[in-house]
Amino acid sequence: MKLIPNFNSPRALRIIFAISIFILLFISSVSYKHNRDMQNSSKSMMHTYEINIQLERLLSFVKDAETGQRGYIITQNSRFLAPYLFSRDKVNRSFIALKKLMADNPKQQKNLKNLFDLIIQRYTYLEGSLKYSNEKTYDKRKLDNCMFGGRIVMENIRFQIDEMNDVEKDILQKRQKIYQSEISLTPLFSISLFLVALTLILLSYRQISNDIDRLRVSNKKLLISTKLMAESEVIGAFSTWQWDLDTNKMVYSDNQFRLLGYPPNAFVPEKDTFLNFVHPGDKRTFSNLMQGIIDNKQLPIIYYKVIRKNGEIRHFKSIGKLLIDEQGSKIILGITFDITEEHFQNIAIYERNKELEKSNKELASFNHVASHDLQEPLRKIQTFISRISDKDKDSLSESGKEYITKIGTSAKRMRILIDDLLLFSRTNTTKKEFLKTNLNDLLKKAEQELSEILLEKDATITSEMLPKLKVIPYQIEQLFINLISNSLKYSQPNVLPEITISCTKVAAAAFPNLLEQSIKKYYKITFTDNGMGFDPQFKETIFVLFQRLHSKTEYPGTGIGLAICKKIVENHNGSIIADSTPNKGSIFTIFLPE
Amino acid sequence: MQKSALHILLADDDEDDRLFFKDAFEEVKIQTKVQFAHDGMELMEHLMHPDTILPDILFLDLNMPKKTGKECLIEIKKTDHLKHLIIAIYSTSSSEEDIEDTFIQGANIYIKKPSNFNALKKIINEVVTLNWHYHTSGLNRDTFLLRLK
Repeated sequence: MKLIPNFNSPRALRIIFAISIFILLFISSVSYKHNRDMQNSSKSMMHTYEINIQLERLLSFVKDAETGQRGYIITQNSRFLAPYLFSRDKVNRSFIALKKLMADNPKQQKNLKNLFDLIIQRYTYLEGSLKYSNEKTYDKRKLDNCMFGGRIVMENIRFQIDEMNDVEKDILQKRQKIYQSEISLTPLFSISLFLVALTLILLSYRQISNDIDRLRVSNKKLLISTKLMAESEVIGAFSTWQWDLDTNKMVYSDNQFRLLGYPPNAFVPEKDTFLNFVHPGDKRTFSNLMQGIIDNKQLPIIYYKVIRKNGEIRHFKSIGKLLIDEQGSKIILGITFDITEEHFQNIAIYERNKELEKSNKELASFNHVASHDLQEPLRKIQTFISRISDKDKDSLSESGKEYITKIGTSAKRMRILIDDLLLFSRTNTTKKEFLKTNLNDLLKKAEQELSEILLEKDATITSEMLPKLKVIPYQIEQLFINLISNSLKYSQPNVLPEITISCTKVAAAAFPNLLEQSIKKYYKITFTDNGMGFDPQFKETIFVLFQRLHSKTEYPGTGIGLAICKKIVENHNGSIIADSTPNKGSIFTIFLPE
Repeated sequence: MQKSALHILLADDDEDDRLFFKDAFEEVKIQTKVQFAHDGMELMEHLMHPDTILPDILFLDLNMPKKTGKECLIEIKKTDHLKHLIIAIYSTSSSEEDIEDTFIQGANIYIKKPSNFNALKKIINEVVTLNWHYHTSGLNRDTFLLRLK
C-alpha cells in the first residue's frame, strides 16, 4: 500500500488556471475593445446625423429668408420681412455649430467655407432683390438679374449641401465597414476561447474533486494509522519523540507524557526537560549521551531509569535515528520503551537461572556421590560378604548362611538401583553430542552387549535396514539395549523370544498429537516381541520412573529402564509409545527426527 | 615365571581396599612384593625419592585426599624417569569421564574395583600376567577398560 498518494495535480492545476485566466482576460479585453468600437461607431453615426440635420436646417433658414422676401416683394407688407431678418442670425449660429462638428475634417471645412461664401452670395442677391423691388429704387432689369442670380446660387447651395452630406455618408460607410470587418471575427473567436477556458476549468474541477476524494481517503488512512500508533504506544508501553537539532524543538507523543506520569501535552517539552526526569544515578551518562547525539547525530540504545511525577522509578530504553527532511533540517526520531516489567522479569529469570545452575551443580555432585561415595561402602559390604561366604562358610550356622545370602541379595539389588539411577541422571546431564551414525551399527553393538543373555534365552532378533541419523550414539545404543533386554526379561515361558525391528519414514502431520510438527519427517522404528505383554491401560505409566507392573520377586528390576528410554528419545526430539496384547506380545514404537 | 618378585605399588587411601588388595595378592600365589602409599602426596614423594626402586606396576586410586589420582597421573607422565611406569587405574568410579580422562593422560589400563573378592583375585591375576607390550602402546581404547570374561 502506498501510504502517501502522489498529488502532482497542483502544478498541472496551476497551469490550467493560468491559461484559463489568460483566456478570460483576453476575452474581456476583446469585448472591451469591441464595446469601444461600437461606441465610436454610434458616435460617428450621431456625428453624421447631426451634420446632416444642421445642414438641412441651414438650407431651410435660407429658404425661409427667400420665402419671406418673396412675400414682402409681392405684398409690400413688412411683416413678411421678419423671417428674412431673423434668418441671418440663425444661419450664423448654424455655421458655428457646423464648424465645430467638422473641425476634425479639413475637406468638409473647405466645403463649409464654400457653402458660407455661397450663402453670403445668396444674401447679397436677396438684398439686391429687396432694393430693386422697392417703389423708390425700382429697376426691372437689375431685379431680374438679382432674382435669377439668386436662383442659381440657391441651386449651388443645394448642390454644395448634398455634396457635404455625401462626404459625411461616405465617412460613415467607411467607418461602418471597418467596424463590421473588425467585429465579424471576434464572436466566434471569443466563444471558442470561452469554450476552451470552460473545458479547462471543468477538467481541473474534475481533477480537484478526484484529488479531494483521494485526499479524503488517505486522510482517513492517516487518521487511522495515527490512532493505531497512539494506541499501540499505550499497549506496547513505548513512546516516540522528535528532536529538531537545528531549532532544539522537542515534540513528544501523547504516550511519552504518560510514561513520565503526566496527561498528554501537560507541558511544553524542551531540550533539557527530559533530563529532569532522569534518575540522579543516570543523569551524568544521560547528559553525556545528549551531547553525543548533538555531536554524532545518532542515539545508540541506552538503558536508564526515570523518576515519574509521583516518585515511581521506571526503567526505560531509548533509541534514536537521524532524519534529514526535505528542507534539510536535522531531526532525531526516537523511541522510548518502558521496560520496567521486562527489567524485573529479567532479574527474576537471572535469579532463576542461577538457582538452576546451582541445582544442576548439586545434581552433578549427587552424581559423584552416587557413583563413588555410595558405591564404595556398598562394594565393601559385598566384598566382605564374599569373603565371609568363601572363607568362613563352614563356621557359620545354617541361619547365619541364609542371612548372609539375603544380605548379599539386598546389596546386589542396591547396586543395580544405584547403577540404573546413575544411568538415568547421566542421560540428562552428560553432554549431548549429535553425530551422524548408522543405527544398524548401534543395534549390532547393543546385541553384542546382550550376547550372553540372548544366547541363554535362545532369542532371535530380525531387523530391517535402519537409517543413518544424527544422534547421540551411546544413548541410542542404550535405548536399543533397554528395549531388547526389556523384551527378553518379559518373554513367555516355553516360547523362544523373537524380536522384530521394522523401520519406516513417516510424516509428522500423520501424528499431530505425538510429534513436534516443526520437524516434517520422522523415522518410525518399532520393536515387536512375542513376550507376555502387559495390560494396555498401563501403556503410559510404564515409562514413568520407578513404575513397575510386577513385584520385584517375580521380575527383578528398578523401574528405571523404560524411563531412560523415554528420556533418550526426548533428548532426540522424538517420541516413544508402547502397546500390547497380553500373552501375545508388546510393540514399542520410537519416532526419531530425520 | 619371573626371576625376582614382581614389584607392585598401590596408592589408595582406603584401609579396607589395601587389605583386600594385600590378601588377594597373597592368595593368587604370585611372587610379588606389594607396597602401599596412603595418599597422592605420599605416592609422589615416594616415587620422587632417589633411593626408591620403581614398581613394575602402579595401581592408582583416583579419589584420594591431598592429591588425587588424576593429578598424580599427570605429574608422573610429566616426569622423565617416571613416564614409562605401567599404571593401572584402580577406582570405584566407572564414569565415562574418568575413563576417558585417564586414557588420554596415558594410563595403561582401567580397573573398576570389583565387589567380590574372587573377582579381585581374577583381576589381579589377569593384570600381572598381561602382555604389557600390547598395552603400553597406549593406542587401544577398547581394551583400556579391563573387563572380566
